[in-house]
Amino acid sequence: MRSENRAPKSLTLAAIGGLLFLHLPIALIFLYAFTTEERTYQFPPPGLTLKWFAVAWNRADIWPPLYLSLRVAAVATLMALVLGTLCAAAMARARFFGRDQLSLLIILPIALPGVITGMSLRSAFSLMDIPFSTLTIILGHATFCIVIVYNNAVARFRRLSGSITEASADLGANSFQTFRYILLPNLGSALLAGAMLAFALSFDEVIVTTFTAGQQSTLPIWMLQELVRPRQRPVTNVVAIVVFATTFIPILIAYYLTRGGSETAGGGK
Amino acid sequence: MTAAVEFQTVSRHFGPVRAVDEVNLSVAEGTFFAMLGPSGSGKTTCLRLISGFEKPTHGAIRIFGQDVSNTPPNRRNVNTVFQDYALFPHLNVRENVGYGLMVKGVGRATRNAKADEMLALVKLDGFGERKPGQLSGGQRQRVALARALVNEPRVLLLDEPLGALDLKLREAMQDELKALQKRLGITFVFVTHDQGEALSMADRLAVFNHGKIAQIGTPEEIYSRPRTHFVADFVGSSNVLPPDLVQRLGAPPTWASLRPEALRLTAAQGAVLSGAIIGLRYLGAGTRVTVAVAGAEIGVLVPSGAQLPEAGAEVGIAFDLADLHPMEEA
Amino acid sequence: MKSALLPERGPGDRLTAIFWRRPRVLLAVLIAPPLLWLGVVYIGSLAALLLQSFYSIDEFSGLVVREFTLKTYGELLRPANFDIIRRTLLMSASVTLASAVVAFPIAYYAARYATGRWKAVFYLGIMLPLWSSYLVKVYAWKLILAKEGIVTWVADSVGLGFLLDAALALPGVGGNSLSTSFLGTFLVFVYVWLPYMILPMQAALERVPKSLLEASADLGASSAQTFRTVILPLAMPGVIAGSIFTFSLTMGDYIIPQIVGTSARFIGLAVYQLQGTAGNLPLAAAFAVVPIIIMLIYLSLAKRAGAFDAL
Repeated sequence: MRSENRAPKSLTLAAIGGLLFLHLPIALIFLYAFTTEERTYQFPPPGLTLKWFAVAWNRADIWPPLYLSLRVAAVATLMALVLGTLCAAAMARARFFGRDQLSLLIILPIALPGVITGMSLRSAFSLMDIPFSTLTIILGHATFCIVIVYNNAVARFRRLSGSITEASADLGANSFQTFRYILLPNLGSALLAGAMLAFALSFDEVIVTTFTAGQQSTLPIWMLQELVRPRQRPVTNVVAIVVFATTFIPILIAYYLTRGGSETAGGGK
Repeated sequence: MTAAVEFQTVSRHFGPVRAVDEVNLSVAEGTFFAMLGPSGSGKTTCLRLISGFEKPTHGAIRIFGQDVSNTPPNRRNVNTVFQDYALFPHLNVRENVGYGLMVKGVGRATRNAKADEMLALVKLDGFGERKPGQLSGGQRQRVALARALVNEPRVLLLDEPLGALDLKLREAMQDELKALQKRLGITFVFVTHDQGEALSMADRLAVFNHGKIAQIGTPEEIYSRPRTHFVADFVGSSNVLPPDLVQRLGAPPTWASLRPEALRLTAAQGAVLSGAIIGLRYLGAGTRVTVAVAGAEIGVLVPSGAQLPEAGAEVGIAFDLADLHPMEEA
Repeated sequence: MKSALLPERGPGDRLTAIFWRRPRVLLAVLIAPPLLWLGVVYIGSLAALLLQSFYSIDEFSGLVVREFTLKTYGELLRPANFDIIRRTLLMSASVTLASAVVAFPIAYYAARYATGRWKAVFYLGIMLPLWSSYLVKVYAWKLILAKEGIVTWVADSVGLGFLLDAALALPGVGGNSLSTSFLGTFLVFVYVWLPYMILPMQAALERVPKSLLEASADLGASSAQTFRTVILPLAMPGVIAGSIFTFSLTMGDYIIPQIVGTSARFIGLAVYQLQGTAGNLPLAAAFAVVPIIIMLIYLSLAKRAGAFDAL
């Protein structure tokens, strides 16, 4: 019955076409980073050059946003890691009143449009007299990163045999020892994968950031400004490549960390 | 002597369900105690009450005379062999066995030495470096056993530990477990739904039904003198005779049990009990012949080699009146 | 012989005993920090936003009048504002529909036919665009759709330039170039949100047991019938789950229409401008409530259709 397992030609074509549709545009970003034309997006590029990489390297306005984005992503990821794991642990433990509402609450920050999350956080921050700063950017990012860590952690909790935590207690471990010696090693890769994805998400977030940022700009905000008012266009492409790589690598790591499990990371951005 | 485990009118309710219903129980130190019953009868919940994973809704549990109402599982000197073994997948066999010692602060050298000693005891020398995933079911079972025993528990709880093994291995492990228990002198509390296993291994056993203990006693007592219809049915497959039939046999009119192997087939004429054969089932060591007698069905175990009548034939049943055991309940 | 009970060692054991005696305490400890943030701060700020929408703005002073009124909601119905809502919903619906159509063959192939190495290729092939930078993706389309960009070049080189011109000449959706037309905005939306549709769809399709398809064929259904009566209904929860994302994301986005598209506004952009430069917070809030209400209805319907299991 081998023949039944072969896809119809039209389906194969449509599927491959779809994949190409998803990937070719990104390839263009790379191409345009080498063009000699800096005022328009002329295709095909009139000539190729490497000079934009050097120009980008020497542009003083790129480095602070890059550092800020890295810092924000790192701290927001850490916060999401703690909060998301706590949520997952609570959800894995028991059925309790409000459990369904909590699961809805966790996905709300990504289910609702970013403008709304951004705007309500902005008004909340001004209400609480928190000045817009790096801190407010981080808090905003952590809000929508929680669900990423949570999704990964909760899937792993589900897969772990419930009796291993009981076995640990049975053998004399207290709750903290069980967490340290049994849960953490078994959750580790799922948490790391969640953290990688959260990092990638935070690193290139722009919508919520525009609401929660003060004067500082993250790399995506810098890019947005360049998109609206372009200066040296190929430099934007170079930065785009950097952003792409910075998100691409953690995603690959996350994939390899959870590969083979039933819960490969990234299903629910 | 204080009992190793004692239940005083212990109940465990899950909402409206009474998983364990006013159970009184006393397990003497050093015995191999089995809890037998169908699934959902409350035997596993009882085990989890001893280990501390469940808390009684009512009643008190004492381990060696000490009330454990306020003692969490990690502080009870009781260890469990779990049904699915619950080995830690990220630790190797030696680390699994040494885990209980590690969390109690025993140094690595002592820990490893003791773990290896235990692995030798369960005949797994040299398996210390393997991960649980690389072991067979029987080997995992031994690791789980070693991991529990290394802590020198006062009571070892076993939750259907042989359920996942195939028949041959199961029988070998039954003998081994029994021998191990005799050698170590530790109290074993063993949960199973397999009556053969319970009868062959236990010093004493409790039969559970609907959250209550239907009968408690030695295997011999339970097998030959089932107290209730349920026990008679569940442990082996005794014939249960109604009071009027028992009276006709010349005994006081109560429900009574009669083991199939205590019966012989005779000629129909002159027999106290007689009827037509309505079924024959070959069992290997013998054949179970079902005879319809005055509204009841009576099973007779005919040993292999003896001559078998045809289905439908009229036969009589003979037995010793001493084998007719009155029961307390229907 | 050891005692039947082990001694309590340190605060870890003491806390463990408390958790064991009162499991709710542990639950509360676990849940309090996330609940404090999400349940109090986040929900609180959503509520504050909702409250703002019941205030109004004084037309002369431009100050917010903190009195309960439905006036601001009334303003949503003014033709200019209502147009924004209608346009946004129309765009969200068409993007969702188009995503579902484009996503299906990819999801179906990945779920049913891809094995081994190809499975990984498909998985990563969907995952990477999903997770790679949103801005980079939007930027890529600015390059593609520009007047001097690759689409025009390809169309001209294969002699189909007239088709492109015809499409751009369409009233309502066309424009000067693709990058300044609704058609362009639509394309970018579909591209950016497509992976969000593929993944849940694939997950749902993967859950269709093979035996079910064989049973259908065995009972005499043609492959078209099997597809229509077995596969499609079972894929529906996945489609709904995916549509939650495509719909919501399109509705709230304000970057894409700003970079690729006409000057006509969508809800996201209206909210952004109203709360920022225009300083009309009540109207911005009222606008923001529209997608919230639509999404809440959408989510509860989706939950009933079992879409959350496909997430």
